[in-house]
Amino acid sequence: MTDVAALVLADRVHGSIYKDPALFEAEIDRIFHQGWVYLGHASEIPDPGDFRTAMIGRQPVIFVRGDDGEVRVLMNRCTHRGSLLCPHERGNSKLFTCGYHAWAFRNTGALAAVPFRERYGEDFDKQDHDLRPAPRVAAYREFVFASLAPDGQSFGDYLTPGARRELDLVTDMSPEGHLLVNVGVHKYQFQGNWKLQAENNIDAYHFGFVHASFVDIQRKRSGYNIAAVASGDSKARIRDLGGGHVAWDYRPINRGLAKKAMADDAMFPDWRREWHKRLIAAHGPEKAHALILGNPSHAYIFPNLALIGSQIRVMQPTAASHTRMFVYPHVLAGVPDEVNLQRIRAHEAFYGPAGGGATDDFEIFSRIDRGLAAEVDPWILLSRGLGMEEVDEDGFPSGQVTDELGNRAILHHWRALMMGAA
Amino acid sequence: MDAHAYDAWYALWSEDAIYWLPCNLDDYDPARHVSLVYENYDGLKDRIDRLKSGQAWAQDPKSRLARVVSNIEIEAGDAITVHSTFNITASRNGRIEVLAGRSEHRLRQTPDGLRIAFKKVMLVDNDEVMSNLTFLI
Repeated sequence: MTDVAALVLADRVHGSIYKDPALFEAEIDRIFHQGWVYLGHASEIPDPGDFRTAMIGRQPVIFVRGDDGEVRVLMNRCTHRGSLLCPHERGNSKLFTCGYHAWAFRNTGALAAVPFRERYGEDFDKQDHDLRPAPRVAAYREFVFASLAPDGQSFGDYLTPGARRELDLVTDMSPEGHLLVNVGVHKYQFQGNWKLQAENNIDAYHFGFVHASFVDIQRKRSGYNIAAVASGDSKARIRDLGGGHVAWDYRPINRGLAKKAMADDAMFPDWRREWHKRLIAAHGPEKAHALILGNPSHAYIFPNLALIGSQIRVMQPTAASHTRMFVYPHVLAGVPDEVNLQRIRAHEAFYGPAGGGATDDFEIFSRIDRGLAAEVDPWILLSRGLGMEEVDEDGFPSGQVTDELGNRAILHHWRALMMGAA
Repeated sequence: MDAHAYDAWYALWSEDAIYWLPCNLDDYDPARHVSLVYENYDGLKDRIDRLKSGQAWAQDPKSRLARVVSNIEIEAGDAITVHSTFNITASRNGRIEVLAGRSEHRLRQTPDGLRIAFKKVMLVDNDEVMSNLTFLI
């Protein structure tokens, strides 16, 4: 096993952490098969029998709401001969019936029927062959996480208070405190390691450059330079939420901007005013104001989840140099229809395989994957803002938003896990 | 489209145009489900302006394209509706991607000639994990 400690230093990392197939296998095992990973949002499966299949690392699972109303994560493997049980990505079913010998399981995981059962003998007990659940499943604000390890870091320790606050921030934008992750999914892939996307989620430094074409068009349309938030003199902050979780803090900007934006009817049309009125009615003026100032949410939750504005972004590592992305836009319960319509249309403009923003990120990831093959100097800099960190008003280590503080937080946590920390 | 002739392509559309690439399913209410593309005339302009900017890295270098359009059925009425199937071979960075699907065009006669009022492209893999779709489809 490679000496991981020597690959991730205070101010730089070795390029092999994004390229080495042996390291990739180790991180699938230690991070994705032992730690907590995001699986899905309970609103994706609102009714009994609703399911979606997913992967935890290399292992297929069924995310399903049983007829008893309980949300479960079941291994997608027939307990008889190991066949993938459910080959569909989503649907609704009372039973999952294996195509091989027709063993049938209820949507709770209980084995319901075994054809010609008598030949298994009298001591055969169906209950011994129920679908195997993921060993640990936990949820916060309807975000469901799972771990394939029966023991290890507790969910409470994994999802730090700072990370929880991001899930609160995104969820409480619904006056009913309920996100609806039921408007489809963009699925795409890129050549490159999953950590390139993990870090890029919170890398403000790239925004005005990778997305220059998008920024220019937005500036022509609205008069606003959306890259200003990610410029070198932006007042936005990046902060280390602990546990490898990282977020941007927009409040220092929004304190100034909110007043200006609210006076601008183009930025603040009636439907947006109505939404905020309902937030105030639901949460009281103080919390509503804090929500509005805090948004849009922009956070990375280690290892495979990001909350960027109105989307849930899931990274699925498939090989050292290949990653699949599942991007779920979400809409809000209890708001004017126009709010949700605008969320969907705004999402499409930037994201997805035909969008005007994320596609350029993927191109850059593939260029990194190709550039890292030049190994005469294998090191990658991570030093931006190093030594300039401050502790912010909430007690988090924090830097100017373009600092590489977030990259360091993610990769130093990664190193600790790879070296065997819980 | 294969030649990335963005302005010539944009000139084919009517000002009330809708350009739609459904995602996950071939048909639904686009106000309640995300699409790969759901753009009006202004959105189309933004798309080609971005592609022309020299800063759309996903098309730098550009995909090299060849498409075949076939199985064309025409329903003529006040507007003309055209159904067709297509197959696009896209080559970029040493890789070949193949895209296929069905299109529906609604064409309208204007003083300047026929214009596209509506185009819907149903990719056969719109519910699969997709690659770069930043060229004109």
